[in-house]
Amino acid sequence: MVESRGWIRPFFQLWLPLAVALLFTLFPFYWMAITSLKPNSELYNPKLMPLIVHNPTMKHYIDLLRETDFLTWTYNTMLVAVVSTAISLVFGIMLAYPLARMRFPGAALIAFAVAATYLVPQPLLFIPMADIINSLHLGDTLSAVILTYPTLLVPFCAWLLMGYFKTVPKDLEEAARIDGATRVQTMVKIILPLCTPGFISAGIFAFTLAQNEFLYALIFLTNSDVRTVPVGAISELVRGDVFYWGQLMAAALLGSIPVAIIYSFFVEHYVSGLTAGAVKQ
Amino acid sequence: MSASTLQVPPRAAAGNRALGRSRFREWTEKEGVFSWLMIGPPILFLCAMVGYPFLYGCYLSLMHRPVASTGEFIGLGNFIADWNDPVFWRVARNTIVYTFVTTVLKALGGLGLALVMNQSFPMKNFVRAALLLPFIVPTVLSTIAWMWILDPTFSVLNWLLIAAGVPAPGPSWLGNPVLAMCSIIVINTWRGLPFYAITLLAGLQTISPELHEAATIDGATTWHRFRYITLPLLQPVLFIVTMFSIIFTFSDFQLVYVLTRGGPANATHLFATYAFDIAMSAGQFGLGASVALAMLPPLALIILALAIYMRKR
Amino acid sequence: MTHSPPSRRDFLKAAAAGSLGAAFSLTDAQAAAKTLTLMHENSFIKTYDEYMNKTLIPAYEKETGVKVKYDLVSVGGLQTRVTTAAETGSGPDLTGMAFNWPFLYDEKLIDVTDIADEAGKANGGWHPGGTEAVIVNGKFKAVPFGNIGQLMNWRTDWFGEVGFKTFPDTWEGLLEAGTKLKKAGHPFGFSLGHGFGDNHGWLYPLLWSYGGAEVEPDGKTIVIDSNETAAAVDFCRKFFQNTMLEDALGWTDPSNNKAWLGQQISCTNNAQSILWLAKREFPDIGKVTDHALNPMGPTGKRFHILNPWSHAIFSYTPDPAVAKAFLRWLMQPKQLSGWYASADMYYAPFLKGFDNSPAWNVEPRYLPFRDSMTTSHLPGWPAPLSRAQSESVAKYVVVDMFAKACAGASTKDVIAAAKAQLKQIYQQA
Repeated sequence: MVESRGWIRPFFQLWLPLAVALLFTLFPFYWMAITSLKPNSELYNPKLMPLIVHNPTMKHYIDLLRETDFLTWTYNTMLVAVVSTAISLVFGIMLAYPLARMRFPGAALIAFAVAATYLVPQPLLFIPMADIINSLHLGDTLSAVILTYPTLLVPFCAWLLMGYFKTVPKDLEEAARIDGATRVQTMVKIILPLCTPGFISAGIFAFTLAQNEFLYALIFLTNSDVRTVPVGAISELVRGDVFYWGQLMAAALLGSIPVAIIYSFFVEHYVSGLTAGAVKQ
Repeated sequence: MSASTLQVPPRAAAGNRALGRSRFREWTEKEGVFSWLMIGPPILFLCAMVGYPFLYGCYLSLMHRPVASTGEFIGLGNFIADWNDPVFWRVARNTIVYTFVTTVLKALGGLGLALVMNQSFPMKNFVRAALLLPFIVPTVLSTIAWMWILDPTFSVLNWLLIAAGVPAPGPSWLGNPVLAMCSIIVINTWRGLPFYAITLLAGLQTISPELHEAATIDGATTWHRFRYITLPLLQPVLFIVTMFSIIFTFSDFQLVYVLTRGGPANATHLFATYAFDIAMSAGQFGLGASVALAMLPPLALIILALAIYMRKR
Repeated sequence: MTHSPPSRRDFLKAAAAGSLGAAFSLTDAQAAAKTLTLMHENSFIKTYDEYMNKTLIPAYEKETGVKVKYDLVSVGGLQTRVTTAAETGSGPDLTGMAFNWPFLYDEKLIDVTDIADEAGKANGGWHPGGTEAVIVNGKFKAVPFGNIGQLMNWRTDWFGEVGFKTFPDTWEGLLEAGTKLKKAGHPFGFSLGHGFGDNHGWLYPLLWSYGGAEVEPDGKTIVIDSNETAAAVDFCRKFFQNTMLEDALGWTDPSNNKAWLGQQISCTNNAQSILWLAKREFPDIGKVTDHALNPMGPTGKRFHILNPWSHAIFSYTPDPAVAKAFLRWLMQPKQLSGWYASADMYYAPFLKGFDNSPAWNVEPRYLPFRDSMTTSHLPGWPAPLSRAQSESVAKYVVVDMFAKACAGASTKDVIAAAKAQLKQIYQQA
């Protein structure tokens, strides 16, 4: 029932708030971009108008790619994120399916325990976790983080998938079982394919969290060739009190733009996945 | 078994095996058994990787355990030390204020943005992806960008303020204790708001337009529609997203570690950063664990309070 | 070697093994070849790491056949790695150590008193600062190497403009200069936030030069609440308000570098990184940057913060003799002089014999770093090494005391808060 009243309404209801939101959200990225393109002499000069680049240079990007292990870190980050996301999705499914669609003794307790897992904060776990990883001699290996990241990701995946699994009608399942399918077959062939948006949604979120993780990576990964982008950038591009600002910003952009592009393809699924999972509790 | 000595005709043998198999299958097909078989592995994983470290962490907190040295049991000694530590209380206060304010800002801002985004306009997908960028970019790197944005000498913000008449060099965003807390609140909001917005947008899109049309026909105003239709239907989403956000924010580490390390003078120190300094810089694992463990009661209370509040509405 | 006379079969076996060995380079000597791992922090001066990798390590291998791996850890990550190694009992054989870590990890390090004594005798003896951090229960748990000093960085041109041709000798003199410079648009900027070096670099010396201290030399009696401390705090507040940018309250270590290169400040406390970067990328600023010793307080004494680097050997190393041999070799005069020089004396040698090394002439502006060693101490001085020291530093007790006062809190309150913190820390020690 929104009548077209010229441009005033849309302006205040849509364009102005949207512009403000985009400005607030994207300004730091603009800043990252121009900082990564400014030569040091310009960067440290407070007298110049800071919002534009006067003498752009690709030096920071070249230095980043040539003189640091940035590409190795990116590869590590992607590998860790993909594998831990996969593990978390599988575990998430295994937890969510019975909790959402079956009745069994102890269900409430399990649901509570999984939720409680999230209440245990990382800063408490990192000390004993470090002990465990060290005694397994997994320190400074990607396995250390691949093993520990799912602890952060599984509960959320489970919750999201639970919501999604609940939306699939029971009749489908019953029909399949009448036809002689086992529970596993029903799950794999009937229910799961219907929930693909949920997987995409949970997968994207888990992936994002994994590639953003810092504390465990900081503690477990101290060798440059196993580091992930967040830890690598902070440690290598900051030597004592000398920050290599240009390279840091280049790393920030190179680290996030590709993921953002992937996001823009999946964002529709991401949104609809959250819909079913969140709303139809 | 006598069966093995007989010559069992193949079909019967197959039938026996099938019977054995089907009995096994029957057992695994039972709801209870199937469920437990499914949740077994992940539960074991969580017990090993979360449960055990958690218990170990609790145990550590009861010990005096300096690095590279054997520990000794001291009961509640660490907690008593924390109780007497003025910085501990400052840290507690900081964390609660930080979590509360950012949650309110993110929820309100996210809701507002979601309402705006719920309209149709060109390049919607692009805008949605762009708005998610703060959430995607690694926090440590975006925080470094913010360091520059908040440096009075180089800050565009100060530049604008000075141009508008504020005396140079303008506010010290990371030096003034109050402004420093404001700064981390702003950065956290910047980072987390998109997540709220996108999730709430998803929720909004499930609300059938017919509901709104029917209400409008009945004479409801925009505000009424919002209050009596939109908000209640959004409640479950809002609750879930707020809960996760509170947990993440309460245990936030990266932002403060990179930006201020808890300074100036503990104005931005949070539980996570304080526990980290104690454990890794001072080499006191027991004391560090006790500070981290201290996070649990307030966090649990907040979640409980939120859950009760939501149930009532 | 068999004891019974070799039979033909044995001879053939040996011959076969020998030829096989020759073919696959499996001679006895190489089969017994040892490898060592030396862990160190990624040096801010690249040439130092290169010298180890390209000169020292190959030379050692040539001499002894022992291969050494140089394991570099990023700045800030070394303590984590050392912690991991000490806790799990596996990792590198030798490691660089900073601050008072030899004390913290004492139980997992071997006694290297003999190496340290030898090196001291051969090179004119140790500066007391060097030994302050490494002697635990009368034994050297690490061999001292060098000091990364924190000194006053000052803009010679701007100081000159307000009438100061040389750097002021006293804090009061510096206050006077700073007040004038702030009015002239060139304020000071000393770090007061939660950094790891640039704040300690002037705040502990300030406290000491006024006669204040955290704890008595007995290591137990807390004396932070004294008139001397109050005087230091009052001075600090005045100093901050009259000379500095407000932002300095929250400055961590990169902030003053950034401000210097942006020509925002005329004086700060820092290690060599400002001059180093200025010379490379901002030569005009580099020309007018110089270092000076910390000023004297009313006691007539001046102090500096000790940031000592040393090398230690973990007790879990499979063959301590091999590790010790390498460390002994590194500390011989022939290796030492090249080693120190490769870092442009960034690690100011703790050995008195290097006080007049020609390597100092490469950049005379680094000489004050050498001169500061005789008056340098660890945070927590005059108390002896302890874990409580580390906890006090990790909790920024002294730094926050001054910072809160500068932000406006009363001297009485900030000292009371510091005292409460120290009581909790030292009782737990």
